[in-house]
Amino acid sequence: MQDPPIVSAGAWPVPPALPEPIATVPSAAPPRVPHRFAFDGSAGEYFRIWIVNLALSLVTLGLYSAWAKVRTQRYFYGNTRLDGVPFEYLARPLPILAGRIVAVALFVGYVLAGQLSLWLQIVLALLITLLTPWLLVRGAAFRARYSSWRGLRFRFVPDYGQAYVRYLWLGIPLVLTLGLLYPYVKARQKAFLVEHHRYGGQAFGFEATAGHFYPPYLIAWAVMTAWIFVGTALLTGAAVALHRPGAEPPTALVFGWMAVFYGGYFAIWAFLAAAIGNLVYNHTTIGPHRFESRLQGSRLLWFYASNTVAVLASAGLLIPWAKIRLARYRAERLTVLAGGSLAAFGAEHGEDVDATAAEIDSLFDIDVGL
Amino acid sequence: MTTQPTPLQGSYFDGRDGRRHAVDVDLAHGRLRLRGDRIERDEPLDALTITPRLARTLRTIAFPDGARLQLADAACLAVWFPHRNRLEALVDRLERYYQAVALAIVVCLGALVAGYLWGIPWLADRIATHLPARVEAALGDQVLALLDRTDLDASALDVGRRTELADRFAVLAAGLPDGADYRIVFRSAPSIGPNAFALPGGTIVVTDELVELFADDRQLDAVLAHELGHQAGRHALRQALRGSFIAIAAAFFAGDVSSASAVVVAVPTVLLQNRYSRQFEDEADRFAYAHLAGHALSPSWLGAALGQLETDLPDDASLAWMSSHPATAARIARPTPPAPTSSRAIRSWPTRSPVSC
Repeated sequence: MQDPPIVSAGAWPVPPALPEPIATVPSAAPPRVPHRFAFDGSAGEYFRIWIVNLALSLVTLGLYSAWAKVRTQRYFYGNTRLDGVPFEYLARPLPILAGRIVAVALFVGYVLAGQLSLWLQIVLALLITLLTPWLLVRGAAFRARYSSWRGLRFRFVPDYGQAYVRYLWLGIPLVLTLGLLYPYVKARQKAFLVEHHRYGGQAFGFEATAGHFYPPYLIAWAVMTAWIFVGTALLTGAAVALHRPGAEPPTALVFGWMAVFYGGYFAIWAFLAAAIGNLVYNHTTIGPHRFESRLQGSRLLWFYASNTVAVLASAGLLIPWAKIRLARYRAERLTVLAGGSLAAFGAEHGEDVDATAAEIDSLFDIDVGL
Repeated sequence: MTTQPTPLQGSYFDGRDGRRHAVDVDLAHGRLRLRGDRIERDEPLDALTITPRLARTLRTIAFPDGARLQLADAACLAVWFPHRNRLEALVDRLERYYQAVALAIVVCLGALVAGYLWGIPWLADRIATHLPARVEAALGDQVLALLDRTDLDASALDVGRRTELADRFAVLAAGLPDGADYRIVFRSAPSIGPNAFALPGGTIVVTDELVELFADDRQLDAVLAHELGHQAGRHALRQALRGSFIAIAAAFFAGDVSSASAVVVAVPTVLLQNRYSRQFEDEADRFAYAHLAGHALSPSWLGAALGQLETDLPDDASLAWMSSHPATAARIARPTPPAPTSSRAIRSWPTRSPVSC
């Protein structure tokens, strides 16, 4: 449990020896010092950035959106601090613009293909599926490459073979077992993402196994099944009670059904997201440091539900407020348990990474969250 | 070039390790001067880049060797680094003026409304006019094949009756610009009930239930004239394209909200598309009135047909906000074609491509 199962692909450069010892790390297990993440963004400030970005993007027919993205990312990175030092987003707008044009062309083609020919859309979907692991790797590499803290960049070591195994090949047994392997596959995918990240000459390690992923998913499945069972029983009862011979069932019942099931799905999903988020961070290490994430499902559910209502009721004008409060909550619940000086990182080396993959990735909404 | 009386405070990272060096920063003889915490560095300003100003976030001065200096924004930085990042400097000013922010709100909401009212219909119609007829016909065939697999069965009407109705249809369709492309097909559809819909490419589907509902064939003529109105305006294709654009726009919107997206966005998407659909229904109604008059049939037959449908399938008030059709009452009452007055539905038709009656 205590030795991180770092899958070493064996090819990275050994971090250069530091010119002088930076912090004296005692040989015995040191007491861990908690460093909380802090988020200082304000909704009012971000609203101004967001609305001006949006207006300029509209006026320039989308061309400005690349600059808008950089400004937005810089705002969120720059307001997230660890140990008093803010993160930095370093990507430049022009490569992002190029990536965006490719992504939009693909997306529009995909949607239009769906209207013209089902087969064309299926072929396109297949093609996109085949490209997905590659896109995931490129996207992760791009984001890592242009994220920096303490003047040092993150890095994602591309391993396409493993990406295809874990994001495509494992799909076959997943389907054959009717989804029962899902937590196992999820565990393998999270491990892939975490373990291929580097920062300051150190590899991230991931200690969670499939055994850790099964309980939350099994609980979620059980609750959902029970919920459907109880909901169906109640609604059937209501339908029988309200039934008049020869009449169609009242529409309120149809909407009641949708509210019950989507509501249940939504709530369970929020709790599951909190559990998996905590699970991933709490089993992630880097060097002598660990993470502690204390997301609460009920709080997350409240944020998602109230954000959704607020955004819809305000014609989108409360989107900045919604994003800021979620970012603040996530940062507040995340802590680094430092087993030594946080400054004791060396430099990483990596080449520039194309922005297209990162863009396609975010447009097609592929889940790659750490 | 003057030396600052009180130097700025910053954090210096050399880019080789993660140590933070607290430094004082000022300008001396055109060179940035860093002093403090084991750091002594002078660098000509020309060799440095600085991140654009952004709200209260720290600014970063990047050195050519990868070292970075983070410091709070200060007025003198604009003096030391003039003419850098002009575009973002302008954007930064806009963000700080509340008049500019107010204007941005107006632009965004205006673009949202204008794009929906005019932009999407215009773009979709441009594409529709340039799409080859072959593609449109293929699309229609596909929709019909899909419906045949799901909701539609072979017609149970006898052949003589179908031929008779098809002949009436041929008379109605004769003389229309694309009349040769229009054809009528009959299907049994217990799950849909009395209905008729126009598919892309000229096919009009009539359910057995609709034929059996009407006592007088002229009522069916009136409904067919309405469907011909959909065909003449290529409504099915245009609706499909508009729907696609709404879906694309919604995807971008949802991507921004990111959480909770799919389900929540689906509902407004349907509502937004229904407005387009109601416009097409009104247009088809107007076409039907004129067309019936041209065939020496009273436009009141359409009202009679809708009245019959109404008796059979009363409007469901609780679904008013889901309407894809103008209110039947409004359509019957209409002596000449006015603008839609209310928004109740005859019935809502769940698929995206066909335009139902």
